Formats: sequence, C-alpha cells, structure tokens
Amino acid sequence: MPKNQLNPDQWVQRYADALYSYTLPRVNDTAVAEDLVQETFISAWKARDSFKGEATEKSWLFSICKNKIIDHYRKKAREIMQPMSATGVTDSFFDEAEHWTKQDQPGDWGIDFSDTVENKEFYAVLAKCRKRLQEMQEAVFSMKYLEDMDAAEICKVLGITSSNYWVLIHRAKLQLRTCLEKNWLHIK
Amino acid sequence: MISCKKATYLVSKKEENRLSWWESWQLRAHFGICSMCRKFEQQSGFIGRMARQVTMHETLSPKAKEKIQATLAREN
Repeated sequence: MPKNQLNPDQWVQRYADALYSYTLPRVNDTAVAEDLVQETFISAWKARDSFKGEATEKSWLFSICKNKIIDHYRKKAREIMQPMSATGVTDSFFDEAEHWTKQDQPGDWGIDFSDTVENKEFYAVLAKCRKRLQEMQEAVFSMKYLEDMDAAEICKVLGITSSNYWVLIHRAKLQLRTCLEKNWLHIK
Repeated sequence: MISCKKATYLVSKKEENRLSWWESWQLRAHFGICSMCRKFEQQSGFIGRMARQVTMHETLSPKAKEKIQATLAREN
C-alpha cells in the first residue's frame, strides 16, 4: 500500500485555487492561467496510474502544473517568428553616447531597499508593467524570477543563446524600472 | 570607461555572478563616477527580490471550476 493516494474526485475542490494562485503570477494572464490549471488536472488524470505515492498528491499536481507553465513559454517562444537581434530594439533609455536620457534616468525612489514586505499595490502595478514587455522579455523575466530557473535552462526552453538571454533580461529590467517609477512611485 | 548602457547590462550579469574579472572591474569603475547606474543596480535588485516573493491568494470563479470539473468528467 503506497503512502500517498490520489483522490481525483476532490482535486478541483482542494487544489484548483492553489494551482491557480501559483500559475497566475507566472503567466500574468487570467485566461491562460485557467487553461493551464485545467490542463494540469487532465494530464494528472491521464497519468494517474504512474503516481507512485512517493510524493504527496499536492506536490505531484504542482510538479505537473510547473511543467505546464514551462511548456506554455516553450510554445510561445516557437510562435514568435521574428528573429531576435541583440541590437535591433529601439533604445529609448540611452542617448547616442549610451548615457541615460533625461527622461529615463533612474530617479530617487525614497524607499528602504531591504524592505520587501508584501505590497499589493506594487504587485498590481508590476503585473501591468509586465503586460507591456515583449513576449520573450516577459518569458525570460517570469522563468528567471518566478520559476527560479537558471540561465542555461531558460535558454534551452526558449531556444535562445545566452547573449540573447542577457539582452532580454537587460531590456526587461530597464522597462520595468521605468514603468514602476512612473506608475508605482509616480515620479516624473 | 564603459557606457551606462553597458554598465546596466553588466548589472544583470552581476546578479547571477557571471561577470569576468575584467567586467567586474569595469563596472566598479563606472559605479565610482555614476550615481544613476548605482541607483539602477539597487532598483533592479529590488524588482527581482519582489518578483521572487510574489504570493497570490486568488480563487478561481465557480464557473471556471465547473468547466474544469465537466472537462474532467468527459475524460473519465
């Protein structure tokens, strides 16, 4: 008798909200998050015979869900047709000498940077700012910070080179910083 | 001296400990004279830490749950 057992009848009631809460900040889109939760349950149902009872039901479902999220980004990266260039993006942050433009130079945030307590307003603005990122920037940002994947794994999933990766992270950070400064801190 | 564009690019590599000795030296030298890039590093680190810590307590709508339940029932 294995230690852990599955109770598929109760999956939705017990885990749908938790899986959705996990998925939503990672994909930043409610409809996509709902679909991925549904796919998680379907895949789990189909794979129920392979459940060995070594993990708990909950962590087994979460590992399936995590794979669904990564798959989602893998598919997205394939859908994006335009080849990525390291320099092609228009540079609004820096002038010709590659110094900060007046408009985009970092302002004084006046906050304690060691203090990262839960802050609803920050996360609401961050979600909005992430919507403005290009899809590949968003994919890299989410996998790096929310999935905690390392650069090599992310490059493999998205089929990009490590220099693509650094450019994407760099652009994402520049854009998010400016967007948060404007819309969260209301500076400028 | 490296530019602000290059310095901010190196900040992300620094976060993952991927700077070469030379890049690390270049970045430190740039920080020595550029308060804006120092600010960028602080703010960039803050954004990353906050993003890592996000926890949501969302609930799926009853309608969405019913839909999932119905789809699962069809799979049975």
